[in-house]
Amino acid sequence: MSAAAVSLAGIVKRHGAVTALAGIDLEVAPGEFFSLLGPSGSGKTTTLRILAGLEHADEGTVRLDGKDVTSLEPGARDVAMVFQSYALYPHMTVGENIAFPLRMSGVPRGEMESAVREAAARVRIDHLLERRPGQLSGGQQQRCALARAIVRKPALFLLDEPLSNLDAKLRVETRVELKRLQRALNVTAVYVTHDQEEALSLSDRLAVFMDGRVVQVGTPEEVFSRPATVDVAGFLGNPPMNLLPAWLEDGSALVEGTRLDLPSLRALGAREVTLGIRPSAVRIAAEGVPATVTMCEALGEDFFVDLSVGERLVRAKMNGRERPAERSQVRIQLEQGALHIFDRQTGLRL
Amino acid sequence: MKASVLRSSVLLAFAVAMMVVWVFPVAWGLVTSLKTERDVLAYPPTVVFDPTAANYQDVFSGSASIVPNLISSLIVSGLTTALTMLFAIPAAYALARLDLPWKRGAGFWVLATQMLPPVGLVIPYFLLLRGVGWTDTYQGLVLVYLTFALPFAIWLLVSYFEEIPREMEEAALLDRAGRLRALWHVVLPQAKGGIAVTVIFVFLNSWNEFLFAVVLGGNTVRTVTVAMFNFISLEQTQWARLAAAAMVGMAPVIALGLIAQKHIVKGLTVGAVKGGGRR
Repeated sequence: MSAAAVSLAGIVKRHGAVTALAGIDLEVAPGEFFSLLGPSGSGKTTTLRILAGLEHADEGTVRLDGKDVTSLEPGARDVAMVFQSYALYPHMTVGENIAFPLRMSGVPRGEMESAVREAAARVRIDHLLERRPGQLSGGQQQRCALARAIVRKPALFLLDEPLSNLDAKLRVETRVELKRLQRALNVTAVYVTHDQEEALSLSDRLAVFMDGRVVQVGTPEEVFSRPATVDVAGFLGNPPMNLLPAWLEDGSALVEGTRLDLPSLRALGAREVTLGIRPSAVRIAAEGVPATVTMCEALGEDFFVDLSVGERLVRAKMNGRERPAERSQVRIQLEQGALHIFDRQTGLRL
Repeated sequence: MKASVLRSSVLLAFAVAMMVVWVFPVAWGLVTSLKTERDVLAYPPTVVFDPTAANYQDVFSGSASIVPNLISSLIVSGLTTALTMLFAIPAAYALARLDLPWKRGAGFWVLATQMLPPVGLVIPYFLLLRGVGWTDTYQGLVLVYLTFALPFAIWLLVSYFEEIPREMEEAALLDRAGRLRALWHVVLPQAKGGIAVTVIFVFLNSWNEFLFAVVLGGNTVRTVTVAMFNFISLEQTQWARLAAAAMVGMAPVIALGLIAQKHIVKGLTVGAVKGGGRR
């Protein structure tokens, strides 16, 4: 394989006494759609800005296509970015906005015009070239920002929550289009989002950020089905995974006073763990952990049941007709194959 | 309904009163400039007289002409404004944008120079300029005006630059503009209104300045404000000519004010809102 399109090694960034990034190592393959996913303040945007050259890392190196760009200015890296606010130039027309990167690179006028038309056509705003950004809808502004980013055919495409200012319906549409555009241009894209649905649906691979560290890198399937830490497990999924403290011993787990037989976990020995289980793997059964139904929430075909197990809240996603009555006493079973076991102390997956 | 009528009539009365206070001296000056010296001194003052353009002829030509002084004022104010903007724009941009460790302190000292009463500086400046042989020179007076105009302009411009989203410049940097071209193509066009306001304020302040012009100027550099003052002498005060000169000297100020009215009002509100914490 050729050199990674993006390679971050040991990136540390401090803002005064606060460590924003505590050693980031990442590799993005050429042509890959790679997301940086994490809650706000986890360092994903800082990482993107360091990639863009808008901020400089205190330690570590940034390589693009194998070339060390750590100390290069933004304009000297072959990188384009779409900002959350779009950052369109309000005093220029849409056409002038799109042409700006070419103008700054000294592209001849004739070439510039055809490139602007092509980029605008790709995002279907070629009929709006004479307008000013202030006269565009939010979706059109977003497209204009995209066109400005793709017009000069950068090696790397950076997107900082580009969909967050769109309404829900437009967001889903644009998401699909964004992916199609990236595929068509065959350009490497690094995408920052706190929206897991976006990250899971768009990415070839993604990195989950927590507190200035990358806690897991993998395909959306890997990250979703095998979260590396209890924090990732609690962050992903809607609603997120249920997490229950348990005591593991001799192939059984003690959960809120009830013993569950889990022979497959015998190898883990006796230890304190956190059991994770997705709502869809929780079932109401004749036997199992006693629970009280606190609420039932219908969502079209499915419904969510909030259960209290001891002092814990467990959410179950079910479908079918038998909906348990609120405040009724039930027993729940956790699908054995769907259990995630995390060490209680370290939070790491076992 | 009744209350609102009362309210608006009170406001109207107040506005009229203010107008009278502000407009009367100008109107009286205009009337005086069209009188003969004799009519000016008539007591009780008369509003019925034969208007004459003689005072205007006198201030435009002949021994009492203020045309050379208008040119002097134009050179001083023009140079002051141009140099102020040349230095203030980059300085204000740096203060607004760069994360410089001494930014706060620098911002304060820029403003602190405005806190000194100007009259306390007249003598020191005179001695300094005399020391380098720059009294009664354009460079001397412009240099002194810069010490007042620059801090003021920087302070005003910083608030305009701070209003422009950082991301816009970052986008320009990524679009390969570099700092200077980002400033030129992206920041300055958006700060146009603020720059216009600053230009006007700086120009008007130096155009209307009298104290330093009279002390640090002389026969070579005599601005229009000083020339007007010279119509008042021990022997006599030429009120009509003085009034005519005042009208002429005021004309560029009024013209600029009318041109820039829109910007000025907006500029004042920006200063008011953002300056609350800054002052």
